[in-house]
Amino acid sequence: MKRIVLVAMTMMLVLSVAAFAAPTKITFWTTHRPPDSDDLQKMVDTFNGSQKDVQVKMSIVPGAETDVAKLMTAVRGGTGPDVYMLDRFTTAERAAAGVLEDLTPFIKKYDPNLSSKYLPFAWAESSFRGKTWSLPFDTDTRALYYRIDVLQKAGIDISALDVKNGPITLAKLKDIAFKFNKTDSSGAYSQIGFIPHINQGWHYTWGFAFGGQFADLKAGKVTPTNEGVVAAFQWMYDYYKALGPQKVRTFISTYLPPNNPPQQDTFITGSVPIVVTGDWEIAVLAQYAPNAKWGVTYIPIPKAGDKPSTWAGGWSYTIPKGSKHPDAAFKFCQWMTGPDGQKMYTLTSSHLPTIVSLSQDMSLFPGQHAFFQKTLAFASSRPALPVGGLFWDALTVAMNDVIDNVATPQEALQKVSDKVQPQLNKFLPLQ
Amino acid sequence: MTQSTRRNLRNGLLFVSPWLFGFLTLQVYPILYSLRMSFTEYSGFGDMTDIGWQNFINLFKDDLFWKSAYNTLYYTVLAVPIGVVVAIVIALAMNQKVKEVPVYRAILYLPSILPVFALSLVWVVFLNPKFGLLNRIANLAGIPTVDMLGDPTWTKFAIVLLAQLGAGGPALIFLAGLRGVPTEMLESAQIDGAGPFRRFFYITLPMITPVILYDIVLGLALGLQIFTQAYILTSGAIGGQGMAGPRNSLLFYVFYLYKTAFQYTQMGYASAMAWVLFIVSVILALSVFRWARTWVHYESE
Repeated sequence: MKRIVLVAMTMMLVLSVAAFAAPTKITFWTTHRPPDSDDLQKMVDTFNGSQKDVQVKMSIVPGAETDVAKLMTAVRGGTGPDVYMLDRFTTAERAAAGVLEDLTPFIKKYDPNLSSKYLPFAWAESSFRGKTWSLPFDTDTRALYYRIDVLQKAGIDISALDVKNGPITLAKLKDIAFKFNKTDSSGAYSQIGFIPHINQGWHYTWGFAFGGQFADLKAGKVTPTNEGVVAAFQWMYDYYKALGPQKVRTFISTYLPPNNPPQQDTFITGSVPIVVTGDWEIAVLAQYAPNAKWGVTYIPIPKAGDKPSTWAGGWSYTIPKGSKHPDAAFKFCQWMTGPDGQKMYTLTSSHLPTIVSLSQDMSLFPGQHAFFQKTLAFASSRPALPVGGLFWDALTVAMNDVIDNVATPQEALQKVSDKVQPQLNKFLPLQ
Repeated sequence: MTQSTRRNLRNGLLFVSPWLFGFLTLQVYPILYSLRMSFTEYSGFGDMTDIGWQNFINLFKDDLFWKSAYNTLYYTVLAVPIGVVVAIVIALAMNQKVKEVPVYRAILYLPSILPVFALSLVWVVFLNPKFGLLNRIANLAGIPTVDMLGDPTWTKFAIVLLAQLGAGGPALIFLAGLRGVPTEMLESAQIDGAGPFRRFFYITLPMITPVILYDIVLGLALGLQIFTQAYILTSGAIGGQGMAGPRNSLLFYVFYLYKTAFQYTQMGYASAMAWVLFIVSVILALSVFRWARTWVHYESE
């Protein structure tokens, strides 16, 4: 009898120790693709190898910045992940919809000073109604890239583009770019110097360049008809009128069709040697055009004397509602968005960190990346609205109408306001 | 009811019960739930707020609703007749009395079983204004280049063409219909001196009108719900993230519904859209059946 009791107690002890020592397994979803997802996987492996309590399984899921259908249906069905990588500026939108867990109690418990460690604009994007819903991960900025080799071969003087001369004016850029335009025998463009709206030449990009304000969060209003934004759209209207909107469309259908492989991007092939894109392009160029000679400078300014502009985006880590292991999930988020994780990601993917201490370590920004780190000092960021996705899409429609010269900037932007403001009104007050 | 009748009824219901269970829980319940959602404001999470008919009122004021409805109807009116003609032509080709006809049948049927997303990606290259086959062949014939990917007036034609690759399925049904045309009629017409065109239009065609009706109703249902090809063709578009094709010309109704539900998290509004689609589809189907009475000829009558 004594032996049975002894054996039973030993077994219970062993089992409870095993259960205690068994790691919590959590799932992590990202919509990133290679090469960035490869960098994330390396980070996950490092995290898993560094401790035994939490083991993470990463999955690449379909979706994009504004498309979180997979996340929503999974969370609704009770099969959501423990951690989801979310486009940071949509945090307010997803928090308002009720998809995310409030991280404030976890921050209080594990690191009450967490907010002071991050860049203020990033932390603001992660907040909504006084609570924190995501942890900022990376950020990025945009600049004007130009192919020195391609432009020099075409005999164009590009000294004005040198970053040492400060930002170039839009008028001067147009002069240089138009010298490069060529049409073939049928009249279609075979090369164009600069196409403002491709890659990262978004409505936000040019709106910020003209000093525009897209929303007034305190008043709870979207302001697409702000004079800076209208001026930016007017500049786009005129630029495309000079190029010929339908001819530009045909050029894009030919050389930048949907799902274009990165090797055939027009900046890589040289058919559009000037483009506005983000700091991640440094890694893309290293992979697909290692022998290209290229330079970076500020996004052009409307008139001489204006201050340069750019905007910063980036991603964040969230815990969707319904996670069964929120504490383990938070520990993982903390590591990935902490100094160790962000350092790894900055070096491998050529994005920028949102941690204050890292952003002052210039050794993390070799070569041209240092320029982007500098521009973070004057970067704007998109307003954190609970209707961020709807606003972006409506602005895109307006931008394309203006590019096609089928609407005036004022008309197109008024439509944006009419469409989005009623939806925003449902969430007031915002703060 | 007698004992045996009752037993048969019980056994029958037991056999059918798996299907019945699936039907009630996976089809009837979601349909009723979506009707409930259409009268509320709901993000999919949290509270459902009742707002009465507001969703439907907002729908009629929404310019994208009208645009997506226009795009869908434009596409359907284009795709259905073209689809019927293409299916009949392919069926006629499959019906030729040559020795190698099984090979031809296989070749003509093959495109319809290839995955739609793969064909859509191939189509993007096919339609390329400078390097795509379509424009190269058209240029040889003297037709000027058409930018079917970037010109809003032509993008729907790109989808119509793409959809024709799926004509193999209806063609098989038409083939069966063609085989059902009595050969004695065709022979006696031939003896009387009717050429192939007269024989086709006055004998064959009237005899296959039931199949044509079937293909029209099928085409109508598929046309009103067109989504996959448009989603794939536009999801990687440069500078157009947020739009479905140039000037939203490929924003079809179901695509807009998908965006409203999952990107803008407006489940109530999306449900209202779904119900409007349902009611319009029923009205269209009833109208087609009523119109069909005038021209469909059933052999049994």
